[in-house]
Amino acid sequence: MNPSVDYVPLITLPVEWEWGLMKLGQVLGISILLLLSLAFLLLFDRKVWAAVQLRKGPNVVGAFGLLQSFADFFKFVFKEIVIPAGANKTVFLLAPLITFVLAFVSWAVVPWAPGVVIADLNVGILYLFAISSLGVYGIIMGGWASNSKYPFLGGLRSAAQMVSYEVSIGFIIITVLLLVGSLNLTTIVDNQAAGIWAWHGFRILDFTQFPSNILVGVIMLAMLVMFFVSALAETNRPPFDLPEAESELVAGYQVEYSSTPYLLFMIGEYLNIVLMCAMVNILFLGGWHLPWGSVESLGLDPFWTGVVAMLVFYVKIWIQFFMFAMVKAIVPRYRYDQLMRLGWKIFLPTSLAAVCAIAYYVTFMAPAAATSVAGG
Amino acid sequence: MRVRESGLGMTKILVDGVEVDVPPEFTLLQACESAGAEIPRFCYHERLSIAGNCRMCLIEVKVGGKSGPKPVASCAQQVRDLPPPRDNLLNELVTKSDTVKKARNGVMEFLLINHPLDCPICDQGGECDLQDQAVAYGRGGSRFDENKRAVEEKYMGPLIKTVMTRCIQCTRCVRFITEVAGSPQIGATGRGEDMEITTYLESAVTSELSANVIDLCPVGALTSKPYAFNARPWELTKTESVDVMDALGSNIRVDARGDAVLRVLPRVNEEINEEWISDKTRYAEDGLSRQRLDRPYIRENGKLRAASWDEALQAAARALSGDAKKIGAIAGDLACAESMKATLDLFRALGSPNLDCRPDGAAIGGGPRQGYLFNSTVAGIDEADAILLIGANPRVEAPVLNARLRKAWARGADVALIGEAAELTYPYAHLGATLASADLGKIADKLRAAQKPMIIVGIGALARADGAAVLRAVGEFATSANVVREGWNGFNVLHTAAARVGGLDLGFLPGAGGKSAREMLAGGLDTLLLLGVDEVALPKGGKVIYLGTHGDAGAHRADIILPAAAYTEKEATWVNTEGRVQYGHRAAFPKGDAKEDWTILRALSAVMGKTLPYDTLDQLRAKMIADHPTFGHVDYAPGAADAAGFNPAQLGAAGQISSEPLRTPIADFYLTNPIARASKTMAECSRLKAGAMKVAAE
Amino acid sequence: MSRLLQAAKGALMLDMIGGFTLGMKYFFRRKATINYPYERNPQSPRFRGEHALRRYPNGEERCIACKLCEAICPAQAITIEAEPRADGSRRTTRYDIDMVKCIYCGYCQEACPVDAIVEGPNLEFATETREELFYDKDKLLANGDRWERTIAKNLELDAPYR
Repeated sequence: MNPSVDYVPLITLPVEWEWGLMKLGQVLGISILLLLSLAFLLLFDRKVWAAVQLRKGPNVVGAFGLLQSFADFFKFVFKEIVIPAGANKTVFLLAPLITFVLAFVSWAVVPWAPGVVIADLNVGILYLFAISSLGVYGIIMGGWASNSKYPFLGGLRSAAQMVSYEVSIGFIIITVLLLVGSLNLTTIVDNQAAGIWAWHGFRILDFTQFPSNILVGVIMLAMLVMFFVSALAETNRPPFDLPEAESELVAGYQVEYSSTPYLLFMIGEYLNIVLMCAMVNILFLGGWHLPWGSVESLGLDPFWTGVVAMLVFYVKIWIQFFMFAMVKAIVPRYRYDQLMRLGWKIFLPTSLAAVCAIAYYVTFMAPAAATSVAGG
Repeated sequence: MRVRESGLGMTKILVDGVEVDVPPEFTLLQACESAGAEIPRFCYHERLSIAGNCRMCLIEVKVGGKSGPKPVASCAQQVRDLPPPRDNLLNELVTKSDTVKKARNGVMEFLLINHPLDCPICDQGGECDLQDQAVAYGRGGSRFDENKRAVEEKYMGPLIKTVMTRCIQCTRCVRFITEVAGSPQIGATGRGEDMEITTYLESAVTSELSANVIDLCPVGALTSKPYAFNARPWELTKTESVDVMDALGSNIRVDARGDAVLRVLPRVNEEINEEWISDKTRYAEDGLSRQRLDRPYIRENGKLRAASWDEALQAAARALSGDAKKIGAIAGDLACAESMKATLDLFRALGSPNLDCRPDGAAIGGGPRQGYLFNSTVAGIDEADAILLIGANPRVEAPVLNARLRKAWARGADVALIGEAAELTYPYAHLGATLASADLGKIADKLRAAQKPMIIVGIGALARADGAAVLRAVGEFATSANVVREGWNGFNVLHTAAARVGGLDLGFLPGAGGKSAREMLAGGLDTLLLLGVDEVALPKGGKVIYLGTHGDAGAHRADIILPAAAYTEKEATWVNTEGRVQYGHRAAFPKGDAKEDWTILRALSAVMGKTLPYDTLDQLRAKMIADHPTFGHVDYAPGAADAAGFNPAQLGAAGQISSEPLRTPIADFYLTNPIARASKTMAECSRLKAGAMKVAAE
Repeated sequence: MSRLLQAAKGALMLDMIGGFTLGMKYFFRRKATINYPYERNPQSPRFRGEHALRRYPNGEERCIACKLCEAICPAQAITIEAEPRADGSRRTTRYDIDMVKCIYCGYCQEACPVDAIVEGPNLEFATETREELFYDKDKLLANGDRWERTIAKNLELDAPYR
């Protein structure tokens, strides 16, 4: 840009309008990025699954089947929407919309890079938690409105399951919050900027803090794993896909859905998975920071720093997603009572104990820096 | 097998180590069977003479604990022919030893040498004695490398299909046709490997019982021609039922596949048909799927048009709701007791006395039961020693009964006939064509002297204008010849229609001031309800409601047609000529929209506002038994129960007997009822029979 | 003790790591997928595919209406009606197989005394309507004519083992 040329805007807009247009652009950009990513994530999911089963997976539409998801998309859209005669039509159609919209809405607070976030809320984590809790409504409504046995059972299961695991997810998040002392997601990420030893999941490697790093490290590693497992349960992914357990409930709450409503459910579900990947990233795996230090430490200009940060964040999401896919491929489905036992009898007490331990650590053992951040 | 009393007492014998008491005239085979041992056989048959030519029934006989040098054909030796017991050891029959097994294996191998391996295309497959026994006694493969014998097929008429290469020369067919059927048209020519079963002149077998050889044939040499390749035994639903082709009520098994009755087989009932049935019983079955009335019709402008049940019932109700004195009902030859009972109750409710179950006008019924029953019972023929037939031709009226008469003759009974001379398969003394011209003195003496004398009156003698007088005359003669005595009732009426005795038992007869069938058929009624009446001339005037199964004479005349179920399509009660109540069962469903007869009448009564007091068959039967207790005794023939009360004054009426010769009412054995008339097989038989008669006449 | 060990194993996720390792091992293995209409797996001579009614080399149909296949069929998919043909031989007038009922067990070809009904090598007989899968005698005979060479070859290859 040449500073000697006067910058003359073509149209002048009030500042509120400008802000509004900018946000609209951001929303559109993020949405398109997410949807496009989703198309390939879906394919990736299927490919990983196939590979473990010695199959090739989709490989007909486009090179290596890259366009498979688009073919599926068109198939879904062009199929007939079948609404069962006994269904509550309004609720039936509302349910997938709710799932779909909520899945997108969460992404408003997710930071992709320093400053690259639609709404940098100070209570971002609370917002995320609130929105993901609402997600259960889409499923319950779908299951109930279908007016059919299997969907209803699927809906019930889903409700109980999501509520159960939300509790432990809440506690796990609290441990991170205690360490960081902020509810702002960007702050949480930046708290892990120093390097892999600063990532909440791998605090055990921070030997400068020895021996307290052992305590915090073990706890936080366990929290990472538990968060990941809870995320599986929260998103109805295998091995916790009981709400749609095809061998028992055919497809659970989705039985009666076809065509676009089904597509909305599907997108919503996968978007939630990706969101969970992003949350693991943000909370435990250093967000957009590199394992050997922060992105800023690369010394690039702010624009390229942002690009690299986004790239790192994006790659980390894919790695997370790979883990999700692998779990689907290698772990057999849980029985419902096992699922409940794990949630209430193991995860809940463990995470509760972890909260106490971390609180103890933060109060009595942590260096001043941590408390200062908490104070800030 | 009935164990007969023996004056010589019983003989003790061991069968496979088990001690049994058997009469000495038992064959070794029977002795073994009485001990429960199973003996394979091909040529032996309980009801035929012993041939002893298949050698399959070989057993070992041990006298004094030692077996003889050779196995013995157990069917051909009697217990009394065994040497006396030796060394204080009972004679023993061994049926399960290795020697026996080896001997039978050898016999089986010889039988199979010339038997073709064509079970897949053989109709006997699945119910073949040779197949079954080859499983037990056959080898895995053949050692016979030579060419097999091949025999040309023989023509045996339209009923019997022959594949003579399969024949194992057991000669059961020859013995049956000669001994039981009494028309020796099948025989064996040649010896050894060249022996062939043949009809000599390649002519059709004319016996009315001919098709029983198909059941007798232990292999697939003689099979059923109309049923050829139609079905396999395992596909068929088997229903045990009762035959209605004649008044004998032969026990049959109806084999159906889906909705089609494919064949009819005899069922053993020693009291009635032993194990034979007539060709008509067996083969009229294809008439059940031809010419059927499968929906109601109403005549409009001289033409019948298909109608709904509602329309038809409304029309019938209108037709019957006029003057009760001007409506009437006649029950035909194939009406079941249930339908007659329902009609009877409906007409009683309507107040009409015009009912009759004797479309032929036979002068029977109304009096005591023994006045119209075959009181000696069919099994009683086996004991009879003097038999007088009056106006009956049992060969066409009841062929299976005729076989019993032939058996009685073969045992030594004297048979005499008054009426038209006919070929009865056994010789008889012909006493004259009419009752008046017959020389009754000698036969009266003979009957009086006999232990178990029988007089059999045919319907032909009673269904005449002077029928009542004939019946009275016969009754008086029976009394004078002392035919009815303590414990034995030798007065018999041989019916020709399966429905008749049931109708008479129900009192399906003109009420006070009612018209008889003859009067009703003469015309003058507004509406006439026919329960399948096709064999008599129907009145020109008035409305006719036809409730029946086939598009026969009655349906052609009818103004309203109510399609009903044939005997294989309903649960029905039949009373045979002995007065024996038997139940027929449903093997298939009624065709099209047709319904079971009594349900039609029940529906009609509801439309007329005179609803009959039963909704189910059980209720109907309960009412029938309550009103007519004889229906409560199932499978019971009264026989001589009321012999002491026999009084000729209760039979018929005194009157002049015309000099017209007595003759059977059956013009053509094969075409006596609508089912038979609709049958292609029966038409073929009838054509052939007519041809044979013509040839004989020339 | 064993419960403690179990708990420790669970806490350390040893099974999970083992499963993951195994999964990754398979992840990189050669895939078994073939590019179906263009590539095919080898087919056994005993393969039980679409049914066919065979003929003798002189063109006479083999089936003699013995109904053994109908009797043995566990799914009751076969319906046969028979009648004497004009020359008096035993032939079917109707030979229907409901390919929708059929479970492809191969009992019919085992039961057949004349090798008339066989399950041929063809597996690509999907249809657009259900009715097309109700095979009648003509269709089965046409199948027989179409696949006769392969069927004969397969029977010959399998013969030593029967």
